[in-house]
Amino acid sequence: MKWLRVVFVGLYMAVGTLPLLWLGLTSLKERADTISVHPKWLPALSQHGPEDPRFSASLEAYRRLGEVYAGADHTFYHYLRNSMAIGLLSTLASVLIGTSAAYGFSRFAIPGSKDWLFFILSTRFLPPLAVVVPVLMMYRQFDLQNTHLGLVLLYTVFNLSLAVWLMKGFIDEIPRAYEEAALVDGYSRWQAFRLIIVPRAAPGMAVTAVFCLISAWNEYGFAMTLNNQVAVTVPVYFAGLQGNVQGIPWPQVCAGVLLFVVPIVLFTVLVRKHLLRGVTFGTLKQ
Amino acid sequence: MARAGGGWTIRGLQYGFVAPALVLLLAMNIFPLLYSIALSFSNADLVGSEFSWVGVLNYKIVFKLAKYAQALRSTALFVFLAVAIELVLGFALAYALRDRFRLKPLVLTVLLVPMMLPQAVMGLFWKLMLNGNYGALNQLLAALGLPQPQWITDPDLKFFSIVMVDVWMWTPFMMLISLAALQAIPTYIYEAAAIDRASPWRVFRRITLPMCAPLLGLAVLLRATDALKQFDLIMAITGPNDRATQTLSALLYQVVFRDGKVGLGTAYSYVILVLVIALASAFLRYMARLQQRENAA
Repeated sequence: MKWLRVVFVGLYMAVGTLPLLWLGLTSLKERADTISVHPKWLPALSQHGPEDPRFSASLEAYRRLGEVYAGADHTFYHYLRNSMAIGLLSTLASVLIGTSAAYGFSRFAIPGSKDWLFFILSTRFLPPLAVVVPVLMMYRQFDLQNTHLGLVLLYTVFNLSLAVWLMKGFIDEIPRAYEEAALVDGYSRWQAFRLIIVPRAAPGMAVTAVFCLISAWNEYGFAMTLNNQVAVTVPVYFAGLQGNVQGIPWPQVCAGVLLFVVPIVLFTVLVRKHLLRGVTFGTLKQ
Repeated sequence: MARAGGGWTIRGLQYGFVAPALVLLLAMNIFPLLYSIALSFSNADLVGSEFSWVGVLNYKIVFKLAKYAQALRSTALFVFLAVAIELVLGFALAYALRDRFRLKPLVLTVLLVPMMLPQAVMGLFWKLMLNGNYGALNQLLAALGLPQPQWITDPDLKFFSIVMVDVWMWTPFMMLISLAALQAIPTYIYEAAAIDRASPWRVFRRITLPMCAPLLGLAVLLRATDALKQFDLIMAITGPNDRATQTLSALLYQVVFRDGKVGLGTAYSYVILVLVIALASAFLRYMARLQQRENAA
């Protein structure tokens, strides 16, 4: 049966990574080669005829990410900075607020805690478009439309339910004896949380951060409807190039997407060891 | 009695831990929902001009016009197809990859990459690859001597093309949770089964599958709620106003942001909301029962 497993995984890998490979190849092309009717799949160092499978490969697209494309207001890096500020701040906020709430629900007998936890989970089911209009009105009222803060706040809240549930799973697994010993030693509750729980929950916080970052980093619906002028993020920038007079600059888009995903991949690799434990949401007791 | 620290009472501190999360969630979910109940009974528009109350007119339109029911059916089909394929593929991958081997970390990382990419931009890139004339997929099919369908312009096909892209992006997520579920099964259970000389199929049916079920159920729930909201791919590949691919989110976007009919849009989103909450709570109850049975066994 082992060969069957190898064949299946091999086949899936081959098919599943082809689009990624094409993404990489496209980032090395000139625009004309990206929409050529003749397949261009072999990178070469020199120019070739239109029917030749070889195309001249260069890092030109990566260099041109530093230029302002026709119809856009800024370079890719400007939008990348927006994405980074919004993604990192909201991730940090979700993880901190989520951990604190998870600790509260894990350790104290909070009245109605079951109902609160269900409420927290249920906010995940809400279709974002169901709340986008009132949020838009509210943001207009408070001058949060087209601000970094507006998106940070929104992403923080949307990731909170996931953060609370993931962190509760992790904190439930930390034995109470640790904190109780610390409390006997004269630590305050807050000190016990900060000095005993947080360091032990750190891997869980890292896993939670990965999930929050992925969704905040790639979010499009709210970013497009609430923030399409200032604080524009990378997905909104690239998607907005559709319908551009010069057409979509495919090589730059592919180069940009590849640069855009690097931090996420690195972060995921760093927390890989804890990733699997994280996704069980504490539903499984070993 | 332990000190709370910083002049806090114990009780105050308890609430202090959970309050920030609850306040934020209430403010950003409950307030908009209450506000939009009011909007759904009005003819408010997007630019914010004067509006008047129209009673249940918006709800009448939603229940009368065929496109609203059609979007619901499209969405149900989309969620069902995408989640079912992702579950089967993702679980099969995890099952095939359950044992340790040397390149496992690398293989897993590569397999996970699609779910880390921005859907809105990958939707555009897939539109390029699926193009009938210069798309990479049809060029590959031509080289293999296979037929080359019009993936994104054929009205009978484009819906399934978007399902395919969703499957490509989110099968890794199912694989990740399935791996976690498989890893959590204690080895002694398998050892006991080996002593009893249970057949591999029996072990899979009687041990592996039931023990993974609770977590797989959770994965299905999470993925289904996300597929239900799928917007980025549809927006990028066919746009919000394509009859063949107009799911709930696409139609809502069209009504609210293209047609500017905020009142109508919010009425529609309320109908969706009630459906989603009913489905989700039924599913959660089912999950809770499943887990109880698991614990009792």
